[in-house]
Amino acid sequence: MLKLDGIWVHYGTVAAVKGISLEVDENRIVTLIGANGAGKTTTLRAIGGLHHPSQGEIRFRGERIDRLTPERINALGIATVPEGRRLFPQMTVMENLEMGAYLRNDPAGVQRDLEEVFHHFPQVKERCDQLAGTLSGGEQQMVAMGRALMSGPSLMLLDEPSLGLSPIMSQEIAKIVKELHANGRTIVLVEQNARMALLLADHAYVMETGRIAMQGPAAQMRDDPRVRETYLGI
Amino acid sequence: MDLATLIQTIANSVVAGSVYAMIAVGLAMAFGVMKMANFAHGEFYMAGAYVVYVLYALAGWPFPAAVIMAIPVVAAMGVATERLIFWPTRENVLAGFMATAGLALILQVLVGQTWGVGLMRSVPTPYMGAMDVAGAKIGWQRVLVIPVGAAMLTALWYFLYRVKAGKALRACAQDAETARLQGINLNRMSMLAMAISGASAGLAGAMMAPIQPVTPYMGHAVILTAFIVVVMGGMESIAGAVLAAIILGFVHTFVTTLFDAVTAQMVGVACMALVLIWRPQGLLGRVKA
Ligand SMILES: Nc1ncnc2c1ncn2[C@@H]1O[C@H](COP(=O)(O)OP(=O)(O)OP(=O)(O)O)[C@@H](O)[C@H]1O
Ligand SMILES: [Mg+2]
Repeated sequence: MLKLDGIWVHYGTVAAVKGISLEVDENRIVTLIGANGAGKTTTLRAIGGLHHPSQGEIRFRGERIDRLTPERINALGIATVPEGRRLFPQMTVMENLEMGAYLRNDPAGVQRDLEEVFHHFPQVKERCDQLAGTLSGGEQQMVAMGRALMSGPSLMLLDEPSLGLSPIMSQEIAKIVKELHANGRTIVLVEQNARMALLLADHAYVMETGRIAMQGPAAQMRDDPRVRETYLGI
Repeated sequence: MDLATLIQTIANSVVAGSVYAMIAVGLAMAFGVMKMANFAHGEFYMAGAYVVYVLYALAGWPFPAAVIMAIPVVAAMGVATERLIFWPTRENVLAGFMATAGLALILQVLVGQTWGVGLMRSVPTPYMGAMDVAGAKIGWQRVLVIPVGAAMLTALWYFLYRVKAGKALRACAQDAETARLQGINLNRMSMLAMAISGASAGLAGAMMAPIQPVTPYMGHAVILTAFIVVVMGGMESIAGAVLAAIILGFVHTFVTTLFDAVTAQMVGVACMALVLIWRPQGLLGRVKA
């Protein structure tokens, strides 16, 4: 479904992503783990169209997307839940959700997706008229995920959804990721919390300083001694 | 100050506040969406006044038609500024600022060359007569500015808070990158912001043409006030700009009446400084995360 082939991304002259290749099959959860500064966010931003890679190709359903704008990529069915949630703080929760559906012209479908958001996140429904900037971290994460769902995506890119959340809240988010996947969405999950990520995912890539250091089925990675030592702290 | 003078001054304050608000919201909007300070914004105001001068005073159009025409003309100037200056310099605030300062001078010279510099262009008053309130005489031409300003601000509010494209404009101002990830075309939104910015400044200038001397430099006088209003209101906050405009309208008008215009400018700057000491983010500005 999604294929990165030899992607390089530079900030000025500094390479943050150095020729990575990865593949995401339809209806899978693929996780990207790695230390701070490994290049995970940069990779997701390149997929979302915020950075154009200086080399390499990104294909979505066979089509080259690495030269498209974020607007076009959103229209193709790729939605990003950015690192740090990035809600529109001075807009209400409902307006944030509406912005997620910005490009859509099917009111019935939008209504259906709104119901799904409320189904996954009942708390969000209660907060509809509140300014997004006044929500708690966990609530903001839910709205950020809801906003992404509102575009009706087939592929969701989640950048550290559990960052800064309590263990209980992280559990809740993990449960919802599973539900989204069960509802037919393909998910790329970036996580610091490698334990959670490896439990959720089908396949895992480990990034180190801009490169893919290891990859394999998540179950296998959980038992890998290097992964256990470096990322699971066992 | 007797009652008539007091009423007169209050009325003038409201008129000044309305004009400041009409000018400043456009500046705040351009700053919000593009993070660019438009130094030629005062010249948009001047251009609006000249549209009325040319179409109404010279060509003999009806006054309302000339005012309405100022809206698309100056909106187009806003879009051209966005395309030719802000978009190419979008990574560089200083370059954008310098380029618009240059544009301000070019527009002043252009208008001066075309319609003359020395003499003030006088625009005959289309609506003669005055309203009499307890002995105070308030010219209808001035009174008219208030409902026009209120209507413009209401329309803008409706657009920004009730229409999808307006909401998208707010989203771009709050987080442009994330707005793009939602499918919002930042390029188009920047043009829209500058169209609105030009239209509102142009409308303000058009309304003021019969009240104020029309000169190539009339924008220069308002740009400082507009920046003070925007900083005091909270940079990107439209509501903050309106609030600050009304406050400054009263401060300027009262100090001018009691002392003089230069003192009024100084007191205005002092008000801004006081607000910033109390609230560094401005009256209704938000603290950046
Ligand atoms: N805007 C930027 N300008 C310059 N360098 C950047 C920028 N953003 C990221 N980098 C650098 O690129 C590298 C990769 O950063 P990135 O944010 O992709 O890492 P990450 O794996 O997401 O880290 P974290 O787990 O901390 O979120 C880092 O060395 C970082 O310092
Ligand atoms: Mg990151």
